[in-house]
Amino acid sequence: MTLAELQGLLHGRITGMVPGREEELTEEVLPRPPLEALERVEIYARMYLYRLVDAVAEDVPHTARILGHDAFVKVVRDYLRAHPSRSPDIGQVGRHLGAWLRTRERLRPDLPDLALLERARSEVRTALDAPVAGAEALQALPPDTLPAARFVFVPSLRVLRLQHDVRRLWDVLEQDAGESPAPTPGETTVAVWRQEFKVFHAGLSELEARALMIAREGGSLEEVCAAFASEPDPAQAAFKTVLSWFADGWVAAVTSQGA
Amino acid sequence: MVPFLGHGIGLRTKHFPDLLEQGRRADWFEVITENFLNVGGRPRAVLEAVRADRPVVLHGVSLSVGSVDPLDVQYLRDVRALADAVEPAWVSDHLCWGTFGRHNAHDLLPLPFTEESLAHVVSRVTEVQERLGRRILLENVSSYLTYAASTLPEWDFLAEVARRADCLILLDVNNVFVSATNHGFDAAEYLRGIPVDRVGQFHLAGHQDLGTHLLDTHDAPVSDPVWRLYRDAVRRFGRVSSLVEWDDHIPPLDEVLAQAERARAFEKTVLEGEAR
Repeated sequence: MTLAELQGLLHGRITGMVPGREEELTEEVLPRPPLEALERVEIYARMYLYRLVDAVAEDVPHTARILGHDAFVKVVRDYLRAHPSRSPDIGQVGRHLGAWLRTRERLRPDLPDLALLERARSEVRTALDAPVAGAEALQALPPDTLPAARFVFVPSLRVLRLQHDVRRLWDVLEQDAGESPAPTPGETTVAVWRQEFKVFHAGLSELEARALMIAREGGSLEEVCAAFASEPDPAQAAFKTVLSWFADGWVAAVTSQGA
Repeated sequence: MVPFLGHGIGLRTKHFPDLLEQGRRADWFEVITENFLNVGGRPRAVLEAVRADRPVVLHGVSLSVGSVDPLDVQYLRDVRALADAVEPAWVSDHLCWGTFGRHNAHDLLPLPFTEESLAHVVSRVTEVQERLGRRILLENVSSYLTYAASTLPEWDFLAEVARRADCLILLDVNNVFVSATNHGFDAAEYLRGIPVDRVGQFHLAGHQDLGTHLLDTHDAPVSDPVWRLYRDAVRRFGRVSSLVEWDDHIPPLDEVLAQAERARAFEKTVLEGEAR
């Protein structure tokens, strides 16, 4: 057996992707009392599963707690078959879990959203640092270039479109404050961000969510303001929202072609 | 060779408050490379604070140098960028494999000790060293199985990789003990098989005895037999930087630092004894 064939044989068994092939494994791996060859391979298979279960649980501790240990292990085992790790960083192994949970049946319906929120918080915690711009960056632009001004956001900002509002559920679990509340269905946009080392999340109104989406996709300040056209005082509503982005440290820079 | 840094510990999240807010320090710190690739926030701040007044070493777990998969060039670029930023005293990883078909098992799987593996690993280490622009240290792993195909003892394989690829060795004393117990070879023979001029660092860690085998768990103090083997290693290899790894059930910083101090005391006893 070549090195490639041997690695394929062992890797398939350890990760559970290629079950069986016991005869070949018994030929390639030596037994040594008190363990048979397959028992020795099994040591690695157990470590594979539980190492990755631990890594995913670190990302989504509340999701893991709601499921309970045995169910969480089963969920992660199935998830790994659909999404085997492709990254050298074990911390990335759970990055598709929330979206994948949507494909599972017989789960608490808001569990995928809780997992998405937890994963986003985990990503934001270690996202790359970036300088943060204050509102003066906008004020410093020549007035005639303001409509064309565009925002560059910090890498530690995430915006989630969830199918349930899981903020209260997250609070209860985080504070260990008794029974989990019932699922709250309904589309919710949540921003997740970091200031210094602390991670925050907050719900966004539909208007703000739309404005933020425009801005993050490279829209101009004029286009961002247009999102508030239905408000009684559109300019004030837009101004207040944009200022809050600066105050929360979401903006890394403001650019304007004319500046 | 690499410089002597003293007796260090692994940089772990649990100790961040002690390190960042109280300025506690070991002689030097080893960081898990992958935990700091393209990372900001508190981990990066702690790394920079520690690096400002102590040597740091990058210790990878995902190089998968023995894998038949192509080398992950982006990963190597990221490691090089981190090394350029942090200026570690050296960069290390493991003599093992962990990926197949680009699927990472996140484990340190043992290689068969054959001429085919040897040629494969040597060419890969050579390429890694070129891409990183530096010599690396390769660590012996703990193992729980051996292959029928192996034709060389592990120590000869490790020594030959180091010689042919001109890399250095991170000798994990605990791993030697664990594997010697699991496979029934003589740990002293292992030490005798490793060339003195290639060892740049020692690892020390705790393990668990599961009855049927020893498991390299890094969740306990260094055991007495491993301390004895460490003294043998100091006797053979002389003054080499040591590093205590503690990755699970991590105790307060003082307890980990005490293990590093114990390594210092054992080293002193051995070296002063030799000098007399």
